[in-house]
Amino acid sequence: MKVPVVCPYCGVGCRLYIEQTPSGYRLDYADDVPGIPNENGSLCPKGNAVLDLLSKDRLRKPLKAKEEGKFVEVSWGEAIKEVAERLREIARDDPNGLMFFGSAKTYNEPNYLVQKLARMLGTNNIDHCARLCHSSTVAGLKAVFGAGAMTNTYRDIERADVIMIWGHNYAETHPVGFRYVIKAKERGARVIVVDPRYTRTAWFSDIFLQLYPGTDIALANGLMHVIIKHGLHDKEFVERRTVGFQELKKTVEKYTPERVEEITGVPAELIEEAAVTFAKAENAVVTWAMGLTQSVHGYDNVRAVATLIAITGHIGKPGNGASPMRGQNNVQGACDLGVLPNVFPGYQAVTDEEKRMFFEEFWGTELSGEVGLTTVEATHEALKGRLKAYYIVGENPVISEANSKNAVKALRRLEFLVVQDIFPTETTRLADIVLPATSMLENEGSLTNTERRVQWSFKAIEPPGEARPDWWIVSEVGKALGFTGSGPKGFNYRSAEDVLREINACTPQYRGITPERLKANLAGIHWPCPSEDHPGTPLLYTERFLTPDGKAHLAAVEHRPPAETPDDEYPLILTTTRYVGHFHTLTMTGRSELLRKRWREPFLEVHPGDARRFGLEDNGWALIETRRGRYAARVKVTKAVKPGVVAIPWHWGANVLTNDVLDPVSKIPDTKACACRVKPVGEVEARRILEELRAEGVVA
Amino acid sequence: MSGILIDPGKCIACRACEVACEREHGRSFITVFEFESSAVPLNCRHCEKAPCIEACPTGALFRDKDGAVMVDVKKCIGCEVCLLACPFGIPEIAGKVMVKCDLCPERRAEGKLPLCVQTCPTGALSYVEPNDFSAGRRKAYAERLALRRSENAPGL
Ligand code: SF4
Ligand code: SF4
Ligand code: SF4
Repeated sequence: MKVPVVCPYCGVGCRLYIEQTPSGYRLDYADDVPGIPNENGSLCPKGNAVLDLLSKDRLRKPLKAKEEGKFVEVSWGEAIKEVAERLREIARDDPNGLMFFGSAKTYNEPNYLVQKLARMLGTNNIDHCARLCHSSTVAGLKAVFGAGAMTNTYRDIERADVIMIWGHNYAETHPVGFRYVIKAKERGARVIVVDPRYTRTAWFSDIFLQLYPGTDIALANGLMHVIIKHGLHDKEFVERRTVGFQELKKTVEKYTPERVEEITGVPAELIEEAAVTFAKAENAVVTWAMGLTQSVHGYDNVRAVATLIAITGHIGKPGNGASPMRGQNNVQGACDLGVLPNVFPGYQAVTDEEKRMFFEEFWGTELSGEVGLTTVEATHEALKGRLKAYYIVGENPVISEANSKNAVKALRRLEFLVVQDIFPTETTRLADIVLPATSMLENEGSLTNTERRVQWSFKAIEPPGEARPDWWIVSEVGKALGFTGSGPKGFNYRSAEDVLREINACTPQYRGITPERLKANLAGIHWPCPSEDHPGTPLLYTERFLTPDGKAHLAAVEHRPPAETPDDEYPLILTTTRYVGHFHTLTMTGRSELLRKRWREPFLEVHPGDARRFGLEDNGWALIETRRGRYAARVKVTKAVKPGVVAIPWHWGANVLTNDVLDPVSKIPDTKACACRVKPVGEVEARRILEELRAEGVVA
Repeated sequence: MSGILIDPGKCIACRACEVACEREHGRSFITVFEFESSAVPLNCRHCEKAPCIEACPTGALFRDKDGAVMVDVKKCIGCEVCLLACPFGIPEIAGKVMVKCDLCPERRAEGKLPLCVQTCPTGALSYVEPNDFSAGRRKAYAERLALRRSENAPGL
């Protein structure tokens, strides 16, 4: 029997089948399901290597640490009891001594349960990795349009005449989604790519705007300057559906293409051409990702781009819209279900008295109305000794946090660390208790992809050893903590379906997305879906925006430099990237031989001029230093980066270098631009440095 | 007969085709070459007038009923003549015999696409009759020309 599952990797949400055969499991393509996001069942290399998740070193039994990194096996009963006791003790003194980390890599149901657990314990200290990738998108889009999600679907990208891809190596991060760009291009659509690097995505550009990292606002303002100067904005739309145009006009007036060229390094003529092309398009879509969001002014970056979309009227109709691309299969779902310190499920603010009263009644307990900690803030609090315990589900912050050495220090200071995961990671090493979870294929539940499409993934494989589904583990902890009330008032669940039904009852956007409907419809349902007979909503904002007055709030924002700019000591700008064959901190893809042999190590990309200037040789080794740490990598001399900019994939642990200064609103760190210096080193020395970092547990 | 047509203009060097082929065959019979601003995937062309078949001294190379160029390992003596004859450098010696792309016979038998084609996220690979492909291209090109005029035509 072929079991339909959803790929555990990027946010496209591809379907595939897993089939059990006499000799093991086989993967098959879902080429017979109409309407799924991966048309014809195609898959990228990660999707193709999905069965390597069954690798031998999976966690099989609950573990308890004797000392750091040394564990003994314990029973589930013992592990759950210990977790519950320690959490209860700390909560008794001060619930805000606890921090919970949900996961964009697990289903909606366990995510719902983790935030419910945190909140029932009396704290809103709950967050997940979207903080590090798209929190600025969520906050920025909410400010301009009223909600923080993709406004359209992949199909709308296919229908566009102009596609602007901003700070997003789409072809590499979401290869299956990129299919829709290529299809649009075949129809004659024009592609504008904004990126500091000449990426594979840029191969497909008609206009390529190669800006310096961290200068996005200046560029967006420059484009709007040209559009307004030529009167190419959608006057009717601006008049009827937006507010703030006069102020915007005044702000962008100063951003002449010539001035913007100076700031961004993009030639003035190209700025003109891109602006006119975008504004004149009948239908246009903007997609973006970490290049735009991971910045100390990520929130303003997103507001500037959203404003550009709004003044050209490229939103609220087919073939148009704003498409932030999520990097993990359930970032959207984790956000939707309130794995954030400021909102309950369905983006209902914890500070809103009425919403809080609803949840107090629903869960039958008193709740905190105080906004909780974000992940990076939690790190800082732990360093100060104010945070006592951390419960991490399926994340590896030791590699994923900016300035990761600091993150390790923080985790070490905790009194109690629980990590629930499928493999031993750099983070489980520091844990007091490790709980073995099941992989996506060994478990079932609902997931929400980038385009707000909720799909059900079925259980295809028996889990190894005593590994248990995430929803089961969290509900056992909940019960052991004494939350044994009936229905939503406790944690008595028999299945993931039970949990989804509870989600239906308290999350307006998901009200009609029942387990029965999802199981019967493999292509899924787009939220908002307010009732069981509602077909779902692929396209948002056709009539009004979700802001209180229903209008888009245009943002007039000024350019500011990144938190760190090059100087004599650190003369280059460092930016981070990814490889198509790897996923995040290598926890999963790093174990696949098929992937590892093709993407075997990180390369530092250096412009030929800089290579000469700093004595680096192609394929030789470089030592890279920033104010926070050092790291070594092989050198790739390439014109893909501009002079003055170097780039490195972060999967292996390059976050020892990056800057953890935060955007004040979204609290996202400035991972995409920091000052660095480079010099050649011998291979032996380079490997020694990496070995040292590995021993410290900060690189993979 | 249908063959795999490669459109390097659509390839994003994701190497999904390689990973899929290797998963099923133990090694990949398609190779993706990446350059500064493009990528070219290459596998056996299953040529109509296949020089490898013509050069093989033992008759180890043959054509199956779909026209795919196949190796009969029992007859192959590992002499490497096919390596020299193939203009694309496709045949490789693994152990003592030649190996190459077999166009996924089990899948063809079930009426499915070869794996690399099925998985390619961008449609850079397609499994088609060459004449159908060119007919499709002709039509698409004509449509785009026609569209240009209708953009300016009033009231259409
Ligand atoms: S091996 Fe070379 S010559 Fe033989 S059919 Fe394939 S491409 Fe043609
Ligand atoms: S047709 Fe089959 S054997 Fe040939 S390259 Fe593609 S996947 Fe490999
Ligand atoms: S799967 Fe397609 S796009 Fe990816 S490398 Fe192969 S041919 Fe190119």
